Amino acid sequence: MKRLGPWLAQTVLPPLVLFAVVAAIWQWCVVAYEVKPYLLPSPLAVGRALVHDARLLGNAVVYTGSAALLGFGASLVIGTAIAFAFSQSRILRSGGYPYFIFLQTVPIVAIAPLIVRWYGNGFHSVVLVAGILSLFPILSNATQGLLEIDPDLLDLFRLNNASRWQMLTRLRFPSAVPSICAGARTASGLAVVGAIVGEFFVGYGSKRFGLGYLINSTNDQLQIDRLFAAVLTSTLFGIAIFGLVNLTSATILSRWYDGPVEHRA
Amino acid sequence: MKSEKCEVQNEHRTAATLSLFALRTLHFAFCRLPRFTPALLMVVVLGCDSPPVHPATPSPSKVAPASAAKPVAVTLALNWFPEAEHGGFYAALIHNHYADEGLNVTIRPGGPKVPVIADVASGTVEFGVDNADKLLLGRVQQADVVAVMAPIQDSPRCIMVHKSEGITKLEDLAGRKPFTLAMNTGQPFAQFLMKRVNLADAQITSYPGNVAQFLLEPKYGQQAYNFSEPFVAEQQGGDPVCLMLSELGFNTYTSLLITRGELIEKQPDLVARMTRASIRGWKKYLAEPDETNRHIHEQNSQMGLDVLAFGVKALKPLCLPKDFTEDRLGEMTAERWQSLTSQMTEIGSLPQDFAKPDAAYTIRFLNAKRSE
Repeated sequence: MKRLGPWLAQTVLPPLVLFAVVAAIWQWCVVAYEVKPYLLPSPLAVGRALVHDARLLGNAVVYTGSAALLGFGASLVIGTAIAFAFSQSRILRSGGYPYFIFLQTVPIVAIAPLIVRWYGNGFHSVVLVAGILSLFPILSNATQGLLEIDPDLLDLFRLNNASRWQMLTRLRFPSAVPSICAGARTASGLAVVGAIVGEFFVGYGSKRFGLGYLINSTNDQLQIDRLFAAVLTSTLFGIAIFGLVNLTSATILSRWYDGPVEHRA
Repeated sequence: MKSEKCEVQNEHRTAATLSLFALRTLHFAFCRLPRFTPALLMVVVLGCDSPPVHPATPSPSKVAPASAAKPVAVTLALNWFPEAEHGGFYAALIHNHYADEGLNVTIRPGGPKVPVIADVASGTVEFGVDNADKLLLGRVQQADVVAVMAPIQDSPRCIMVHKSEGITKLEDLAGRKPFTLAMNTGQPFAQFLMKRVNLADAQITSYPGNVAQFLLEPKYGQQAYNFSEPFVAEQQGGDPVCLMLSELGFNTYTSLLITRGELIEKQPDLVARMTRASIRGWKKYLAEPDETNRHIHEQNSQMGLDVLAFGVKALKPLCLPKDFTEDRLGEMTAERWQSLTSQMTEIGSLPQDFAKPDAAYTIRFLNAKRSE
């Protein structure tokens, strides 16, 4: 607790100072060069828009956030399950893997309207888009984690006649957890992006708006200050999710892995 | 001795040149760049909607005054992919009305979210085509855009629904459930509709830009222009019916010719020539559209010749309503601008203190005679 002061000064203060400096330069440029608000709003105007739209943005975060989290959760479960299957069969792996790379490279903006056409308009389509975008990093990392096993440990299990199932649950999965966590970190940010892209094409109803909708509609109205406010909120929300996943994985890893590592050392 | 002095002088000169160069670079970085950085930032922020590439045109400040010898190059930025609503401007181009006025016009096709208002206001292009509500929204954000001509008097804006659903007017949409309505809710017409008709039970979603979903779902409506989407939907076996926004009292001027205030002030003659040629183009288009439609079809192969032919027929009564003679084509009235302003203030699109739309349009170029 006594180290909180220096910690704050080292990790929280620098970004805040940088933010203040950038905002000040930005504000100065907008005023000095008389940049019109339809091109670039001043940080003060963005701040006002944030306050003005606070309730709207708060509600939007709830909708977009639930879609992103559901999509992320689904891809975490499904991605790990597919990785399990991949780790058990080389044929399955080499046959299926290229198609999952598709998920990573497909332009999501192009297929999102198709998803809406196939699965209908609504929350579930947004979840689906978020899930598709976040599936690959988890699948790819989990597969790698399940395969890259310490050969000595593998030998140990084999010598003791461990079954396939025992090897999977007692050896492969525990050693894959750090990789799965790394995949989850990347996927969490992508899930938020996916949910917002989904909302570009999908509506929740006449009074329920997600962040993607707000980004679209403020742009339609040429209200660039409100557009900035919505984009800023999306970004901050993405960071928050990322932080949450980081914290969760750090907790899991410290519980699960500190013991064995210390023991080995 | 002499040569040494020379060298010293040369060094001085080099240093002077260098510092001058540095100064120029700094000047460019700080005084010129800020004009472009916002546009760049916008592109970054809007991500997928990068503006279409268009050939560089000389900035209007460098454009020489009217001379028969050298045509003046100007760009006209459209608000959507080329279609019938832009027909008159294309007619003026291919029937040489622009050339007759000494103009070398490049028409820049638009698409979803193309920043016409921003580009006209910042001087990236000299002229643009957009709707009256968009223009007022731009003026609120201090974009100095002014309408000089309104080819389409009555708004073609409608909500397209299925005939089989028995919906005959917009008010029938109230309380419908389940019902999906695809429209860009940021747009004033949608806000107005939501204010006047209770759509709380409807699923409101983004305008998809095509009629595919409409054909799939009976309990589905979408924003449309009555001269375009309904034809396509019918062609593909749908049963569309148009509920006009103008019947609800929301009647925006559509496909306005717009420019920026500064250009009107500095080069009124250029604006007059552009306006005059565009009006001639629209008259030509309404009378003999075939050649122009072929050209539009070349520019935008998605627009079939049959759709375009249907489009002109549907547009004609909107451009020349009852008791509206051809010589009045392009007219705008203070009443119409005022009523749009009041409606947009009512729905909260415009701030309460927006007051009068007088500066948003001018009719001084409508009957400007040729100065020959």
